[in-house]
Amino acid sequence: MTARTRELVGLVLAGLIAGTALATVTLARDAELSPSALTYGGLFLALYLAAHVVVRRTAPYADGALLPLAAVLTAFGLTMNYRLDPSGGRQALWVLIGVAGLCAVLVVLRHDYRVLESYRYLFGVAAVVLLLLPSAPVIGRSVEGVRLWVDLGVVQFQPGELAKICLVVFLAGYLREKREVIAQGRIKDFGPLLAIWGAAMLVIVQTNDLGSALLNFGIFLAMLYVATGRALFVAAGLALFVGGATFLYTAIDRVNQRVTIWLAPWTDEPVYCSQTGELLLRQDCDSYQLVKSLYSIGNGGFGGTGLGEGIFRAPDGAELIPALRTDFIYSAIAQELGLVGAAALVLVFMVFVARGMRIALHAQDGFSKLLAAGLTFGFALQTFVIVGGVLRIVPLTGITLPFVSYGGTSIVANFVLLALLLLVSNRANALSRT
Amino acid sequence: MNVLALATEEALLALKIGFLVLLYLFIVYIVRSATRDMSEAPQESIILGAKEAAALRAEHGIVEHTPAVARFVVLESPALDTGRALELTTPAVVGREAGNGVPLDADEFASGRHARIDSRTDGIWVEDLGSTNGTFVNGGRISAERLEPGDVLRIGQTELVFEP
Repeated sequence: MTARTRELVGLVLAGLIAGTALATVTLARDAELSPSALTYGGLFLALYLAAHVVVRRTAPYADGALLPLAAVLTAFGLTMNYRLDPSGGRQALWVLIGVAGLCAVLVVLRHDYRVLESYRYLFGVAAVVLLLLPSAPVIGRSVEGVRLWVDLGVVQFQPGELAKICLVVFLAGYLREKREVIAQGRIKDFGPLLAIWGAAMLVIVQTNDLGSALLNFGIFLAMLYVATGRALFVAAGLALFVGGATFLYTAIDRVNQRVTIWLAPWTDEPVYCSQTGELLLRQDCDSYQLVKSLYSIGNGGFGGTGLGEGIFRAPDGAELIPALRTDFIYSAIAQELGLVGAAALVLVFMVFVARGMRIALHAQDGFSKLLAAGLTFGFALQTFVIVGGVLRIVPLTGITLPFVSYGGTSIVANFVLLALLLLVSNRANALSRT
Repeated sequence: MNVLALATEEALLALKIGFLVLLYLFIVYIVRSATRDMSEAPQESIILGAKEAAALRAEHGIVEHTPAVARFVVLESPALDTGRALELTTPAVVGREAGNGVPLDADEFASGRHARIDSRTDGIWVEDLGSTNGTFVNGGRISAERLEPGDVLRIGQTELVFEP
């Protein structure tokens, strides 16, 4: 069975999964099976079959597991977004645009994606500009104290998601060129490392966002390790990051607050509330969102409440968990599908990451190896940071769950990432066949 | 509670179980088809350094790939006589620096450590070592490429023909 046939079977399974999930949601809401769920399931399958045809034409030897895995992840996202906000079909539009983006990248780079290496410094500059855009006057926007958004009037987007991909392309090109000198470990070659560490710290200060700094610096360390094989660099980089973050923890209120919420979300006595300035129990104020999310996960138990039957609103109709469809979508899934479903979702992410790392292993040249490894590691780390944050394993930072969270930039950026992985695996598999 | 509500509840339960079963079937399907091609081992480690990889190979009794000999004939070069046959014991570094397998000190367009000729399980490979002017095989700039007999390798102003 060829990779493409496996992909086709996987996509049909993904279509069935999406159809079943949507049918459950509509049945739970209307107490009758409406044909609309079937229509949506059919449209979902048709969209991915179109993508399959494009992959067949442009990257015939590409890995056959990635597209179905992404399809199942978007099925989770579409179902939950539809369930939480039936009026807004926006997420479906984002997935449509995302798949179009995937096809566009595949078509444009079908001959040789390695041309990207020639533009590595352009990508490096683009990554820095994108990261700093939300801090720019006029267009930058601050949501709940975190500067992650750019508002251009017509469109609003989160440039951080795209910066991640630009950073990986830049580092893949840069480290491919310099890996041998850097591996020798002379002091002067640590310049770039220190510069990137400085940039990561600057991003924390500018945006108040520990998450994206952790993500981008983590990608950098992982790629440095892949390029040089020196664990010492990773240890030094981690020490630098922890040192810097500890200093910022004492210096910046917002970072401090995130850590306090993480360590002690519940208090028995009223403490200072940063939002109102009064004395309140912490679970009623700063850690309200996290605590409600933990209750939501707990309410799911082992088997979950069932899709469409979870409790996300107080009796008076108020939303219990702010940012449920973006940052906290995992806790909504955990409530409705329980441990069984939430574990399955993490498994799907893990298999995706395993496939990505295998692509990196099989790639024949340094740029492709670094590109695939960096993209995959970024994907894995982002998933860990947000799922871990929602589960209170690490301090919570607001980033999106790839392919699942509501949001245009995130969906499109992840489809671009998927397209690049498909192209790398296509080239590696095509070469090993001859 | 009427019959319809009861039926809805049962249908919801059935759908929920169906969804989870499908989901796990999907994961099993993907993982199974993935393990099927695990046997094609990658050519080299992505993370281990060359020394550690060699130590690991020795530990598992895998015969170290014996240094192969790559043969080239000089087509044109400011540093070497045209027609001269070169026998390189791999891995060999080509460049302007002294101590290289192929000394190209008179070729001003070659970098100090320009390219490496290496033998892998599937043949002789040339890998660019981040040279200024690039390494070319049959006119195309490459970062790493397997050499076929008759391929023309260009480093700086030196052109070598790879011989079988």
